[in-house]
Amino acid sequence: MTLSAKAFQRWLQSIAPDASTADVCRISGIKRTTLAQQLVRGKVSVSTVVSISRAYNINPVAALAGFDAYRVLAGPTRPPTRNELVSQISTADLLRALLARPAMDPVHGAAAPALTPAPHATSVKNWVDAIDDGEVRHRVSAATGVAPQNYSAQLTANRLSPELAVATALAAGVGPAGGLVATGVITEEEAGWPPEARQAALDSLSDGELTALAGERLQSLGKVLRRQEQDQAQTEKIWENLG
Amino acid sequence: MIEILQWSTLAICALVAAARIPSTLRGENRSLFGIFSLMTLAILLSIQGPYVVIDQAMGGMNLANLLLRFVIFGAIFFLGIRISRGFGADSAHRLITGKAGTVVLIAVSVVMVALFFMMDTSGSSAGLVAISGKDARHFALVEYYGAAGRAYPAYVALALLPSMVRAVRDRLPVLVRIAAALLALGGIAVALTLLFPVIPPSLGSIEFIINYTAILCFVIGLALIWAARVVNGRSAARRRTSTET
Repeated sequence: MTLSAKAFQRWLQSIAPDASTADVCRISGIKRTTLAQQLVRGKVSVSTVVSISRAYNINPVAALAGFDAYRVLAGPTRPPTRNELVSQISTADLLRALLARPAMDPVHGAAAPALTPAPHATSVKNWVDAIDDGEVRHRVSAATGVAPQNYSAQLTANRLSPELAVATALAAGVGPAGGLVATGVITEEEAGWPPEARQAALDSLSDGELTALAGERLQSLGKVLRRQEQDQAQTEKIWENLG
Repeated sequence: MIEILQWSTLAICALVAAARIPSTLRGENRSLFGIFSLMTLAILLSIQGPYVVIDQAMGGMNLANLLLRFVIFGAIFFLGIRISRGFGADSAHRLITGKAGTVVLIAVSVVMVALFFMMDTSGSSAGLVAISGKDARHFALVEYYGAAGRAYPAYVALALLPSMVRAVRDRLPVLVRIAAALLALGGIAVALTLLFPVIPPSLGSIEFIINYTAILCFVIGLALIWAARVVNGRSAARRRTSTET
């Protein structure tokens, strides 16, 4: 959900009392026309608030918590679950970690390189899968009024609106900021995830768990790639005959 | 109004046909150029002015109208083959090129030619309007002749329709899906021509609109698929250069 322009102006007043809109745009790197448009429409995007917060060295989560729609972000941060942490490790990193395990390659067993920061190509879907007890999608849909097929479509595209990301975290009973990390709105650090938490979660997986997880990831990646290849082949055939 | 529709459809169709010349010379999908040329010729033959000129050259007994019917059959036949192949509509392809399609085509052609020669067709008249006005017998014969001429295109259009509707919902490039929607709309319009006998004469202009909607949908739909390929080729080329640098 977008934030009301009125509340945004009030917030901006509180953090930068005598900065003009132009100043704010320059410091935060937002295009002036973008912000002007959002203000005219009366709907300011979450990413605007995040960019401005960063520019003024304010924690974006704390800033968002000041708005009615994101009040749930206030309060002490809840640590992410192990499943959430692992879900934010890219498939490539998981596979590298797996290959470095002695179980896979007793000779080499070298340390895997450092993890690439979240989010990754399937981070949104992996995050929802990691916190889903089987009913989360229904509860989110009931709570927000978003149709299940629209919700699924967003996950398939590795997208999720900030509103839905927070609603999903609430419905699953995990820390409210996790979805914002998975969608790349905020960083792990901003969400209060301890540094190296993902690495620690990865290390805590047994060889069996890690192998099974990597297998699942590969299987769904294979499905996506196969579907893309089929679509591509179909398109090529149309062009070959009619282009 | 009808005249504007006719001439602008002719212009669009001729333009697309001309635009296909370079790729035809390169040997890409030559039959598409053939389809567009046949369609252009068909439109030309359905407009009063050019029709009379051509028919006079052919002896002034409306043989040009018979020619028009077979030009349409040819265009729709090749169109059906290309579209069913492109969209992987195997059942439609079988219906058009298989035994059923051949039987329908031959039966319709025989009936049409027989009806044509049962009429006294002297005196060039686009759409055989003047012939139809001769007497009750000629009126009925022209009706049957027209119905036979619309039967084969409607058969092909109905065979293609399901796969077009499916393609609109598939995960294909947006332009291709729009093109499939246009082709489906054209197919529906062609199928609707079967209902012409029940349209009262006072609403005769509806027949023109349906006919030209069908042609425009087919031509623009095919041109869009071509455009989608060109657009894709360009962005692919850009991707290649950007990864090289």
